[in-house]
Amino acid sequence: MSLTGLYVGKADSLRTLFSELKRLGYVVIGYRVVDGVLRLGELNSFDEFAQDVEDVQSPGRYLLVNGSFYRHGPDSPKRFLYPPNLTLFMVSNDWIVSIPEYEKHNFAFFGLKPCDLASIKVLDKILLGVDEYYTSLRRSLVLIVENCISPGGTCFCSTMNTGPRARDSFDLAYTKLNDRLVLEAGSELGLKLLNLLEVEPIDDATYERFRTVMRNASEKARSGFELNGLPEGLELHIESKIYKEVAEKCLGCANCNMVCPTCFCFDILDVPLINGSAKRVRVWDGCLNFTYGQVAGGHFRPDLWARYRHFVLHKFAYWIKQFGTYGCVGCGRCITWCPTGIDLRETVKKILMGG
Amino acid sequence: MSKHMANLIPLKALITHVKTETRNVKTYYVKLPNGVEPPKPGQFNMLYVHGVGEVPISVSDLDEKSRVVAHTVRFVGSVTKTFELIREGDVIGFRGPYGIGWPMDAIVGKDIVLIAGGIGLPPLRPVIREVARNRSAYGKLIILYGTRTVEDLLFTYEYDYYKSIPNTEFYVTVDKPSESWRSNVGVVTNLIKHVNIDPSKSYAFVCGPEMMMKSAAQELLEKGFKMNKIYLSLERRMKCGVGLCGHCQMGPYFVCKHGPVFPLWFISKYFWVDQI
Repeated sequence: MSLTGLYVGKADSLRTLFSELKRLGYVVIGYRVVDGVLRLGELNSFDEFAQDVEDVQSPGRYLLVNGSFYRHGPDSPKRFLYPPNLTLFMVSNDWIVSIPEYEKHNFAFFGLKPCDLASIKVLDKILLGVDEYYTSLRRSLVLIVENCISPGGTCFCSTMNTGPRARDSFDLAYTKLNDRLVLEAGSELGLKLLNLLEVEPIDDATYERFRTVMRNASEKARSGFELNGLPEGLELHIESKIYKEVAEKCLGCANCNMVCPTCFCFDILDVPLINGSAKRVRVWDGCLNFTYGQVAGGHFRPDLWARYRHFVLHKFAYWIKQFGTYGCVGCGRCITWCPTGIDLRETVKKILMGG
Repeated sequence: MSKHMANLIPLKALITHVKTETRNVKTYYVKLPNGVEPPKPGQFNMLYVHGVGEVPISVSDLDEKSRVVAHTVRFVGSVTKTFELIREGDVIGFRGPYGIGWPMDAIVGKDIVLIAGGIGLPPLRPVIREVARNRSAYGKLIILYGTRTVEDLLFTYEYDYYKSIPNTEFYVTVDKPSESWRSNVGVVTNLIKHVNIDPSKSYAFVCGPEMMMKSAAQELLEKGFKMNKIYLSLERRMKCGVGLCGHCQMGPYFVCKHGPVFPLWFISKYFWVDQI
């Protein structure tokens, strides 16, 4: 929740904010342009922070062009808080177990969109207090969120109630209104940061402008289905033929799982080393992968449609039962990064219509 | 040590004995590491072969006094195939016990029918042991066991003992009999309709391949068993055993921690759905 109400400042306040986070010793993580894609990474200077670009997203398509506003790339905070490849421990050949010393980071995400903020709230319900690697990073995490004034072609945060405006759980949220910023603090730290900036309480005209921009953004991020009745609607159609129809286009590549900011499944690799010891590595896995449901001498989901169904039902039905929240934040990454452009919004809509 | 990672760290455990069961099945007797609570019937442990991998194996016997736990392993997967090389005196990695086992309290004073297919007998063997040990605490015990061939039958050296347990019936069947086979032929679920049992005061425990369990559950329902008296031990891919890695999901349930033993009423919404 906002602690301060809304303030207005100059656009270059972001530079001040960035410098202050650096000065406080944070590893600042934000989007940079790498090989024509927005990638999340450590920003050494504010100039590395992607600006003047826009990501054009549609099912199966991603293109970076010149522009003034972007949403996101394939990376989400999950990449840093729950890394794709983490050595859990080593076992020597005489069975001495050693745990690697992980570098202690104070991360500050800079310019994260509300959907990705929401994804951290989802991961909290699964990993906080359970996975110490996550928990330790999360405790010192700073979240500078940019409200989404122009959702992209695959976005549906309005439907998932996760955006386009961040409502809580951030330190500082900002909204770009041409050459000005609307700012609000959501934590003590956010309040301190806000106090460093040249800001003034929002005036009526700017407030109206802000409201209009957010309302229009909200209209752009609807999916065509509603949350009301969604989990039960999907479960009642658990035998829907739509899964088979849609999966005709599915390659089983698990891109959707990998770019999803909340997919938490992992595989365990036990790797023998040349000196006779072995290490155990945790790597991301996904339910669309063939081996995910495979056991010795059998397979519980040999068909792609069944694996795709598990993905859909997990996100919108099972997750509620397991963790009390949806597993989808409406970021649209699984739609954009699907090589064949399978549109989750369309699947859900068709199933709810009784297909 | 992190909670998450501690969960996934195997403890060193000694193999006290290896018993050959069939051409591709052996039973490994593992001394429980200090501090580990003894498993209950129907629970499983994660067994780790150094540098190779880890597999969930259910408990097929337990000696409380010596703290030695039996795991009956069939060599079918990339990890279990390496079990063939394990000998008495070797060291293995151990995590567990995990999951919810058979409802031993519920069956006190009741008749019990155990239905096992193939490698599904080992998880039920501790139930047989418990009933035999406290014979008067339970009603009639009926054991139905089936395998594909005669060579696949497990624990054949115990069958006379099973039959000698008072108030116990033991029926065995094979799909493909040998010439010398003089007992039942066909799938084990065919036997269900022939057994003499009163569903209103009985429990059924089922463990075997999923197709066999579906058909067993169907037969039991037709025989008059209610869904809350039918318990099934499910199999799924499991990498963590503690409800984190996601692989074992059956509908919204993590088989490793919500199961592996489930009453049918609990999972009935999902159990019958193809490839759920």
